Amino acid sequence: MLSLAGLEPCFEGVVPSILCTLAPDGTPNISYLSHVRRHGDAQVSVSNQFLSKTAANLRENPRAALLVVDPGDGAQYRLDLLHRGSLEAGPAFDRMDADLRATSAQLGMAGVMRLRAIDIFDVLHLHQVEGERTAAAPAPPSGQGLARALAVSEALMRANGLGGMVEAVLDALTDAFGHEATLLLLHEPARGCLVALGSRGYGVSGIGAEVPLGEGLIGLAGQDRRLLRVSDASRLRRYGDAILASSEQEARTRSVALPRLPDALSQLAVPLEAQGRVQGVLFLESTRRMAFDAEDGRALSLVAPQLALAIALAEAEVGEGAATGPQDRASSAAGRPVQVVHHAGDDSVFIGHEYLVKGVAGRLLMWMLDAYQAAGRRDFTNREIRADGGLRLPELKDNLETRLLLLQRRLEEKRAPVRLLRPARGRIRLEVEGRLVVASDQGGR
Amino acid sequence: MRPARGCRIDADLAAFIESPVMIILGTGIGSVPEIGRGMGASVEVDGALQIVVSAWQWPGTVAQARANGRIAATFARPADYVTYQVKGPVDRVAPLTPALEACAARYAARITDVLAGLGLPPELTAPWRSGRDLVALHVRPERVFVQTPGPLAGNLLAGSGG
Repeated sequence: MLSLAGLEPCFEGVVPSILCTLAPDGTPNISYLSHVRRHGDAQVSVSNQFLSKTAANLRENPRAALLVVDPGDGAQYRLDLLHRGSLEAGPAFDRMDADLRATSAQLGMAGVMRLRAIDIFDVLHLHQVEGERTAAAPAPPSGQGLARALAVSEALMRANGLGGMVEAVLDALTDAFGHEATLLLLHEPARGCLVALGSRGYGVSGIGAEVPLGEGLIGLAGQDRRLLRVSDASRLRRYGDAILASSEQEARTRSVALPRLPDALSQLAVPLEAQGRVQGVLFLESTRRMAFDAEDGRALSLVAPQLALAIALAEAEVGEGAATGPQDRASSAAGRPVQVVHHAGDDSVFIGHEYLVKGVAGRLLMWMLDAYQAAGRRDFTNREIRADGGLRLPELKDNLETRLLLLQRRLEEKRAPVRLLRPARGRIRLEVEGRLVVASDQGGR
Repeated sequence: MRPARGCRIDADLAAFIESPVMIILGTGIGSVPEIGRGMGASVEVDGALQIVVSAWQWPGTVAQARANGRIAATFARPADYVTYQVKGPVDRVAPLTPALEACAARYAARITDVLAGLGLPPELTAPWRSGRDLVALHVRPERVFVQTPGPLAGNLLAGSGG
């Protein structure tokens, strides 16, 4: 017995659905629909973007024929529909609106397509269209969602420390979902962007790369606090060819190129939310069509809040180290010069003419380097950093650990002559390999 | 707008219709609409449009075309979604001529290749094609609409009557 629930893959928007309505004189009209969704067990909803002809026809004759295709095996289904009305608000409308905005962002048409309403139809009858028997296409994996969520969840629970958790989750996601690339990004509210903290499968780490909120699938998932999934990006115009990550490029743009998976066909972005705040976004990509199904989406929706909570918990830990003990004063005058340039405008920091980082992490590093230079300090505690008014970064209160981790990783990746170590919980040690020379440019850009 | 008694399909549009494009057919009886797929099309010298359909796969479409005779057919190019919708009466439903047999076979092969080139493997698109019980719908085009997504969508094609 066919059921609407069984047709879930047909509603992924991979293969356009087709609607036929009739004018009062019996003249048929065909329209292509980008978004059809299951609305409960006996209804479907359709994004109301169709041409006025369809709307006029439905006012006179509420019957419609819908053809949908399962993108997994190409099977076609015919639904007889009865138009029941339109909705301009509510959860179903919001879901469709988010889908539509994600699609238009992918098409480079953000803001062009606006959802006015969704139309609700009763499904009167449903049958599969006869088709030639072929060698069965491989059935998409299903029923693995819980097992995958559990695997990632277990890896998270076993991991130690914030850095360990990030690595464990990235590894476990790759193992469990079998996709090619993963990116974990942190929310930086003050600048309205998401900053990459770690990745797998891109060849480059991309740590420090930024995505503005609302831009692309990642930015939209963060802004709308909604899981977004693309199952076949071959239809979508690719914007911007891969920009080769290079030090020159980074220095010129004061930014790190966002890593990309060439020929990605499936993408999934899930917001990391805890305590009512968006902590970041988890982004998965694959070169396979339909690499992530609805169940994978639900599995990641289970994992995401756990990761977000674990991050929030790591941030809440005060640690020990209220007092740092006897300061091991650095001899900052010896060795090769370590040239550090700070641009106050965007808090971007360059070490030896190479772009390192900007924003919160940049200011944090400068604060420590200033203390190092002024008083030869090398040891710091997270408590004192949180308490210091001089940083003028109220958001550090909740984000210090993740920013320290970002900074630490980026320094390691650049093999910079400045390093951050975490000798104990709540403690930070700064190591400078050489004689620190700091220049500050107040103008910024 | 008074529908013109027939409109000419120009050479460019005819070439488009006969190229490997996805063909969707809309028909209706009373208040009940139906959808089917075409398996190739050909524009005759007299301007008539012949659309090949599998009566085995799309029995509702063929039955409604015989009974009511009004049809809407969209021709959509998979690579860029350039789409035209042709509307008009179906004058008759007939067995395939040898020329239309060849047209249907050529269409099946070419559309399979085009879709494969877009990342849709033949085994995935096979359910959309059938060579069983093929018949030809003889359509007299009355109006042609541009239906490519965008600002012109829904407009009558210039010179197509209406």
